[in-house]
Amino acid sequence: MIEQKTLDKILLKVEKPARYIGNEQNIYIKKEEDIETRFAFAFPDIYDVGMSHLGLHILYNLLNNEKGIYCERVFAPWIDMEEQMRKINIPLFSLETKTPLKDFDFIGFTLQYEMSYTNILNMLDLSNIALESSNRDEKDPFIIAGGPCAYNPEPLADIVDFFVIGEAEETILKIMKKYKQMKQKAMTRKEFLESIVNIEGIYVPSFYEVKYKEDNTIEKMIPKKKNYPSKIKKVIQKNLDETYYLDKMIVPFIETVHDRVILEIFRGCTRGCRFCQAGMIYRPVRERSVENLLELAKKLIKSTGHEEISLSSLSTSDYSDLENLVIRLMDEFKEDRIGLSLPSLRLDSFSLDLIEEIQKVRKTGLTFAPEAGSQRLRDVINKGITEEDLINSCKDAFKMGWSTVKLYFMIGLPTETKEDLEGIKNLAYKVREEFFNQPKDSMKGNLKITTSASCFVPKAFTPFQWHPQNSLDEFKEKQEYLKKIIKDKKIKFNTHDAETSFLEAVFARGDRRVSKVLIHAFKNGAKFDGWRDQFKYDEWINAFAETGVAPEFYANRERGYGEVLPWDFIDIGVTKSFLIRENERSKAGEITPNCKVSCSGCGIQKDFKGGLC
Amino acid sequence: MLKLRVKFKKYSLIRYISHLDLMRLFQRAFRRANIPVEYSKGFNPQPKFSFATALALGLTSDGEYMDIELQEEIAPEKFTKDMNDVLPEGVEILEAHYTDDKKSLMSIIKSSSYIIELIPLENSSKKSIYETINNFKRKKEIYITKSKKKKGRTIEREVDIRKNIYELDIILYESDRIILKTLLKTGSTGNLKPELLIKALIKEGLQVDDVDFNIHRLDLFTEDPKWE
Ligand code: SF4
Repeated sequence: MIEQKTLDKILLKVEKPARYIGNEQNIYIKKEEDIETRFAFAFPDIYDVGMSHLGLHILYNLLNNEKGIYCERVFAPWIDMEEQMRKINIPLFSLETKTPLKDFDFIGFTLQYEMSYTNILNMLDLSNIALESSNRDEKDPFIIAGGPCAYNPEPLADIVDFFVIGEAEETILKIMKKYKQMKQKAMTRKEFLESIVNIEGIYVPSFYEVKYKEDNTIEKMIPKKKNYPSKIKKVIQKNLDETYYLDKMIVPFIETVHDRVILEIFRGCTRGCRFCQAGMIYRPVRERSVENLLELAKKLIKSTGHEEISLSSLSTSDYSDLENLVIRLMDEFKEDRIGLSLPSLRLDSFSLDLIEEIQKVRKTGLTFAPEAGSQRLRDVINKGITEEDLINSCKDAFKMGWSTVKLYFMIGLPTETKEDLEGIKNLAYKVREEFFNQPKDSMKGNLKITTSASCFVPKAFTPFQWHPQNSLDEFKEKQEYLKKIIKDKKIKFNTHDAETSFLEAVFARGDRRVSKVLIHAFKNGAKFDGWRDQFKYDEWINAFAETGVAPEFYANRERGYGEVLPWDFIDIGVTKSFLIRENERSKAGEITPNCKVSCSGCGIQKDFKGGLC
Repeated sequence: MLKLRVKFKKYSLIRYISHLDLMRLFQRAFRRANIPVEYSKGFNPQPKFSFATALALGLTSDGEYMDIELQEEIAPEKFTKDMNDVLPEGVEILEAHYTDDKKSLMSIIKSSSYIIELIPLENSSKKSIYETINNFKRKKEIYITKSKKKKGRTIEREVDIRKNIYELDIILYESDRIILKTLLKTGSTGNLKPELLIKALIKEGLQVDDVDFNIHRLDLFTEDPKWE
C-alpha cells in the first residue's frame, strides 16, 4: 500500500488531482481478511474517459458482489502525474486501496480502442511488470484483456496472458472460481492457464503457434496441445432481463466524458452497416424490457443522485418500445428535474418530436451520420439513410428552432470516387440552403454546420475486412480537396489525423507479429496515441523500421477470400460466408434489409439463439 | 423563502476536489438524500444553493458555509442526518438552521482563521523563526507581487498585504514543524489567501519549505466574529 503521505507530496503538483484519490460515492471497501482474490480493472486511458465506460461499472459491481473477490480500479495516469510518480518512484496503484498493481492476482484491461495499446504497456511498466507474458514469473499477476478490440487479440498476443472474448459477465466468474481452486492446490501459472483453456470464450495466445507462408500471410495456427480449442467461440448474455444488472454506479468527483446514469437498453444492432464492427460482433439484438429499465433507472438515480439519464445502445431508435419507455421515464423523473439524453438516435420526425418533448427546445446540437456523400456510396456501405431523410429531418429541426447541426462522414470507403467526395460538400450545402429557405420570421439562431470527415479503417469481422485502406497520400489528397471545395462561413470542416487511422488499421487487422512493433514504439516514447497533442508518429515509423515489420502489409493490402485471417480462429456466430456475401453485394451496390424487415441469414441464429431473430 | 444556513467541514481526500466539483457533489447528495431543494427556472434547472467563499484546492476546513433554498420545510436535524448518510467521507454537515438574512453569505463574510503547518529548513533555529515572525508583525507595510491574467497577458502589480493580516501567532514550535494561527481578511471587499501569506513570510526571511506545507481553515467570521 502506498502511504497517503507520499501521495500528498505530489497530488497538488498535477492537474486534476481528484483523478487519483478514489474514495468516491458507491465504491466498495472490503476488509483485508475477507479478500481472497484481488482484481484490478484497468482502463488504458485517463480517469475522465474510463469512468464514462459502462463495462467498467458492470464488471466492477459484478465482481465486488462476489464474496472473497475485491475488484479495484486503475487508470492511466496523465503525463504530469506519471512524471511525478517516476520522479519519486511510486508504482502504479489502485484507486480504492492504493495497492501497487504488482500485488494483484489479475489485471484486467478493457480494449476499447487500438490507439490505447501503448498505454497498456506504459501501465505495466509503471507497475514493474514485464511487458511480455513470457517474461513474467510465478508471483506476477495475470494480465487479461477483453472488450471489442479483443475480437482481434493477436496484436497483443505477446503481452496479454489470456483474453476473454465476448460479453464477460459469466466468463469472468468462471475464471474467478477456477482461480480459487487453483490457490488451494497451489498450481503454477501454466497449470492455471491449462485449467481454464477450455472455458468458453477464453483464448490463451501462448498455447498456439502460428506458421507463415513465404508471402508473409498466415499458413495456419496450431494449438500446441490436442485439447486446446482450435476455435474460440464468443460468449453472450442471452437474456438481458436475467443478466446481472447494474443498480448503482460510482459517482466521480470530477466531470467525466459522460457524467450521468447510463441505462443500457439493448445490445446488438439490426442495421448491418458494412463498415461497422460493433454491428457484427454484438449480434443478435437483445433488449431489456421497459419494466426492467424503469426499475433500474429508479435504483440508479437513487444511488447516484445524477441529474441525467442517458439511454445507451448502438441505435436508440431501434428499441422496439422507445416512445413508451421515454414517456414513462419522463413521467417518473420530471419532478426531480432529471434530464434524459438519447444518443445514437436516427433523426427522423418521430425522434425529433421526442427530443423536442424532452428538451423543450434546449438548443443543443443535432448530429447526423450519413457517413458517405452520395446515395451510391451509402448503398455500398448499407447505410439505410437517404438524402431526402436527411434534408427533411433538417427542415423539421430548423422549424423547431435548432440551428446547430453536425454531419459525420468517412473518407476512403471502398469504391469511393471524386463524385462521392463532392457529395459531402453538396450535402452540407443543401442543409445550409434548407436553413435559409425557411420563412424569415421562423429562422432562429445562427446557423452552424460542422462537417467531420474521419478516415475509414477496415475492421475485422466486417464485410469490408478484406479491403485495403487508402494510403496516407490518398487520404491527404482527399482532405485537401475537401478543404478546397468546402468554402462557406457557415460550414466548418474538420478532418481526422490520417496517421492515427493508418496505425489503427494496422492494429485492427494485425497478426501477432505487430506485438513487437508495439513494444518498440512504447520504448521509443509512444503513449496516449489517441490524443492528438501526444501522438508521436515518427516514433512509430522508427518502431516499424527497427522491427522490420511493414505496416502497409496490414493497412493497405487487399486480401483474398482464401487467405487465413489472423482472427479467423474466433467464432462470432456470424459466418464468413455471410460477410463475403455482404462484401459482394456492396460491390454491386445492393442494399441488405434491416433484420427487423427480413432475415439475411448471417448465421447467428444457429448457435446464439435468444435475441430478436 | 425558506433559507437554510449550513455549516460543514471538508477534510482528508476531499481537499483535492475543486470548488466547482464540490458544488456538483452537493447537488447529487441533495438528490440522494431527497432534500426538497428549490430549482432555478429555465432550460437547465439548477438547485439553488450558494457557498460563502471558495476554498482553494488542497485546503481542509472546519468552517465552510452554504445557504440552501428549500421548497418545503424540513427539520434542520433531519437535513443534517439525511445528508451525512449520503455524503462521501470527507464532507460532513456540522450544523444547519433557518435564517431570514436577506444578504448573501458571500457578502457578509469578512475574515477567516487558519492553522498553517510549516516545515522549518535544516539550518534554521527557533530563535530566528520567532524573530522573523515578530519583525514581520511589526511592519507597517508588506508588499508582494500579485500576477493577474488579462487578455492573455500577465499583469504584475505590487500590493500591500499587511492591512489584511489581523492576527499571526506561532502556536507550536518543534524542530520538524511549526504551527501558525492566523486571521486574514476574506470576502468581496478584500481577500488574502494563506498561500500568499506564506510566500510573503518566506520573502521576509522565514526559513521554511516553500512547497511542503498544510493549510487548514478553522472558521469564517462576519464583522461580528460570532456566528448568527
Ligand atoms: S440471423 Fe437474420 S435477423 Fe438475425 S441478426 Fe442475422 S441477419 Fe439479422
